[in-house]
Amino acid sequence: MAIPILSLMIFIPIVAAPLSYILGRYSERGVKIFALLVSIAVLSLAIFSYTSILFSGTGAEMSFQEGPWQWIPTFQGVEYHLGLDGLGAPLVLISAFLTVLVVLGSWDLIKTRQPLYYALVLFFEGSVLGVFTSLNLILFYVFWEIVLIPMFFFIGIWGGPRRKYAAMKFFLFTYTGSLVMLLGFLALYIFAAPTFNMQALALVNIPFWLQTLASIATFVGFGVKLPVVPFHTWLPDAHVEAPAPISVFLAGVLLKMGGYGFIRVNLSLFPDASLTYGWVFMSIGLITMFYGAIVAMKQTDLKRMIALTSINHMGFVLLGVYTFNLYGVSGAIFQMFNHASAIGLLFMLSGYIHKQAGTREIPLLKGLMNRMPTTAVLLMLGSMAGMGIPMFANFLSEYMIIVGAISSNIGLAAAVLVPVITAAYFLWMIRKTVMTPMKNGSGVHDMSRFSALHLSIYLVPLILLLIFPWVILNLTNLFAENLIRLGG
Amino acid sequence: MDTPLILMVLLGAVALFTPMLEGIFKGEMRGKFSGHLAVATLLLAILLVIYQPLTSPLDLTASSSGLFRNDLMGLFFALAVLIVALLVAVSSLNYMRGEPNEPVYYSLLLFSALGMSLLAFSVDLIMIAVAWELMSIPTYILTGFRKKDSKSNEGALKFFIMGALSSGTILYGISLIYGLTGSTNLFQIAEATSTITTGLYPVALLAMLLLIAGFGLKMSIVPFHMWIPDAYEGAPTTISALLSAGTKKAAFVVAIRVFVIALPVLQLNWGLTFAFLALITMTLGNVAALTQKTITRLLAYSSIAQAGYILIGLTVALQTELGLIGVLFHVFTHAVMQTGAFLAAAVVAKKIGRTHLDSYNGLGVRMPITAFTFTISLLALAGVPPLNGFWSKLVLFTAAIDGGYTWLAVAGVLNSAFSLGYYAWIIKRMYIDEGETVSRVHEPIAFNTVLLSAMVIIVVTGIYPAPIYEFARLAVAALGIV
Repeated sequence: MAIPILSLMIFIPIVAAPLSYILGRYSERGVKIFALLVSIAVLSLAIFSYTSILFSGTGAEMSFQEGPWQWIPTFQGVEYHLGLDGLGAPLVLISAFLTVLVVLGSWDLIKTRQPLYYALVLFFEGSVLGVFTSLNLILFYVFWEIVLIPMFFFIGIWGGPRRKYAAMKFFLFTYTGSLVMLLGFLALYIFAAPTFNMQALALVNIPFWLQTLASIATFVGFGVKLPVVPFHTWLPDAHVEAPAPISVFLAGVLLKMGGYGFIRVNLSLFPDASLTYGWVFMSIGLITMFYGAIVAMKQTDLKRMIALTSINHMGFVLLGVYTFNLYGVSGAIFQMFNHASAIGLLFMLSGYIHKQAGTREIPLLKGLMNRMPTTAVLLMLGSMAGMGIPMFANFLSEYMIIVGAISSNIGLAAAVLVPVITAAYFLWMIRKTVMTPMKNGSGVHDMSRFSALHLSIYLVPLILLLIFPWVILNLTNLFAENLIRLGG
Repeated sequence: MDTPLILMVLLGAVALFTPMLEGIFKGEMRGKFSGHLAVATLLLAILLVIYQPLTSPLDLTASSSGLFRNDLMGLFFALAVLIVALLVAVSSLNYMRGEPNEPVYYSLLLFSALGMSLLAFSVDLIMIAVAWELMSIPTYILTGFRKKDSKSNEGALKFFIMGALSSGTILYGISLIYGLTGSTNLFQIAEATSTITTGLYPVALLAMLLLIAGFGLKMSIVPFHMWIPDAYEGAPTTISALLSAGTKKAAFVVAIRVFVIALPVLQLNWGLTFAFLALITMTLGNVAALTQKTITRLLAYSSIAQAGYILIGLTVALQTELGLIGVLFHVFTHAVMQTGAFLAAAVVAKKIGRTHLDSYNGLGVRMPITAFTFTISLLALAGVPPLNGFWSKLVLFTAAIDGGYTWLAVAGVLNSAFSLGYYAWIIKRMYIDEGETVSRVHEPIAFNTVLLSAMVIIVVTGIYPAPIYEFARLAVAALGIV
């Protein structure tokens, strides 16, 4: 029997979580090293599975399948079933990659209740990988919900001044959204076919009315996570209150669950409804992009601005997904990968700046170039990635999505304006913080060499992927082609 | 093997003789003996109940007499209520230590457990009435067990008056049914219902309503729920656990037997009735729970809301097999998680001395084991996967959609989302809010054992729900309906 790589990736961190808690009660340094080792082990598994899919050229079909094994034998359709394809593999890779960076980033920033913290980090990683590899709707839902619990505690325990409010709001919003999504799954089970198996459901001819209803239900669930505009209000609060490494998880991993869900469930299972009502979703995506960009313009809190940038970038994903063409879908997956890395860097930087300068208010942060040169350089690079300047892969993915949108409807060319607004507020922020003369600049120290090194890692995939985009696109294009062939 | 009769002898004899045996012991041993005897007896009873379906699954339906039917349904409910009684008994070893009349407490507990298990097997209306009283009367006394506590007395009195009313209503309903069908045996009633002439339908309807009201009082269905928060608040908290997780569940098995087996002719009427009762029960329970200031009242309303979820399954019992499976499944899961929650509240009440929600602030540091197990119970009550409460709700909502009550499933889902508001609120208090002090509070071994075993059951049956689900499915299949 083959080694169950996906199960290992999910359950190594989940089993390691309680162990690290126990270890952490004896040695706080020990728990950090342990968490780092576990996350590196998972990352190497992720890289292995990713490269093997990449080089075998099997992005279109499921590799490393495990199961389906009956979970409740007489409750037909509830199965343990995992698999990895051109959609899941990049997201699994980026999640495992970010977990390593989050552990490194928490090294200096998290000082309280460390055993619990690292246990939850590992628990979170395992459940997120479960979301990206599940092929059964119930299994998917189970992992989807488990993700909330560590995140609730992350925000609530290690967050900023309004953390209690933000944690409750986050939990209630996302839980409500997921329950509505579950209703959609149940409706599929009853009216389409008595199974929760995604592959089996994709072959079933689901009636159009059911596709429409289920799309609405899943839209609420995925839309809250992504987030799209009417459901986005939890995000600025959660991001601002969460500690910097957890914001990386939130923006880099948790939001991707929404985009993943749209492609995996809505496009694959409800292609007719997605094509017919695609314009509704694309309009919502466009509104989300503009909303995020415009609201970000008037923020003075650096972290809040970055959080709203996330909304803006996730609007791109929604737009790309519903173009239902090769550029759009493949670009959306690419965008999710790039956004995770770029936004992670920006959030970590805002955390360091807050720690060193004592404030995140943009007007108060003056003369960073002189006071904190390394930070300032990284901030400029991160902003360039966020703006989509053709030095990082973000440019490629946004470009792909816009091309896809235009080829679907020429009116969507309006999306080109969004990067312009994004560039405007990033440049404004940089002018205020980096390019101003310092007032009384003494007493602020730059980040440590260790921090500078680990923050630079965020940029490595972005630069490499601009030069070698095939590393991602060879997978995602195969996946998207197959999806469109089946759906169209 | 005839489980109900064996249980009757075992539990009845121990319950009867415990207070007398206690007299033999003097000094150190006094007061400890009866508690441990009760725990041992309940453990033995659970082993008996599990032993039977494992060894001789085929001759289960063999009926011992006209009064009982020794089937899987009965065994399932007996298992659930006996587990609750056992957890309550073990935690009482600490909770009731040093209180006056301890032996009587355990004796009454065993009597009530016997009443609940007999109710699970009863298929004759007379036996149901008798077992109903055997279950109820000890709980009235237990609720008022603290003689000097006025809240306890108030709760007990309210409970007793309501309970007496419910018994009276049930008996009136039974007499009407006997008049209509000429029998008290449920299976004979089922055959006779087809012969009722149309002119007598109003009488049958009245009988049905009387039974719904009578059982509804114990099942804590709105609008028969008023006594619940007062009784739960006044009673020793361990007894609140018994009431909410035990006696309520026994009422559900009677409801299944009477409404699903004996009165299917009138199903058109009660399907919709139950649907509306389910809707208002869960909604009112959840809304009221959100505004409570003490943990016992909050859990009381939460328990009302959970009864609403169970009713969803009863609503669609005749349309789909999943309905009754959901009822049984949720009865089991709710019994465990509600016991876990109430007993966690009991240890906090005992050790910190207050039941106000503020006393839960910062509990995660002060009582780590209690806080952690309480959190798991609360998440299970909210239906967060992969805990057992998720699966039973999943089955219930699937059943509702399958049975044509999609709106009820939507209402149930929205209620679940709403309920997280107060469940997560307690978790937030325990782990995120700062308490007045951070001093550690001693956590008694008896409670730790109970809470951890409840947690293990919640997590294990959550990750691997197949055995319980299968048990429930077979129990429903053995009823021979749908």
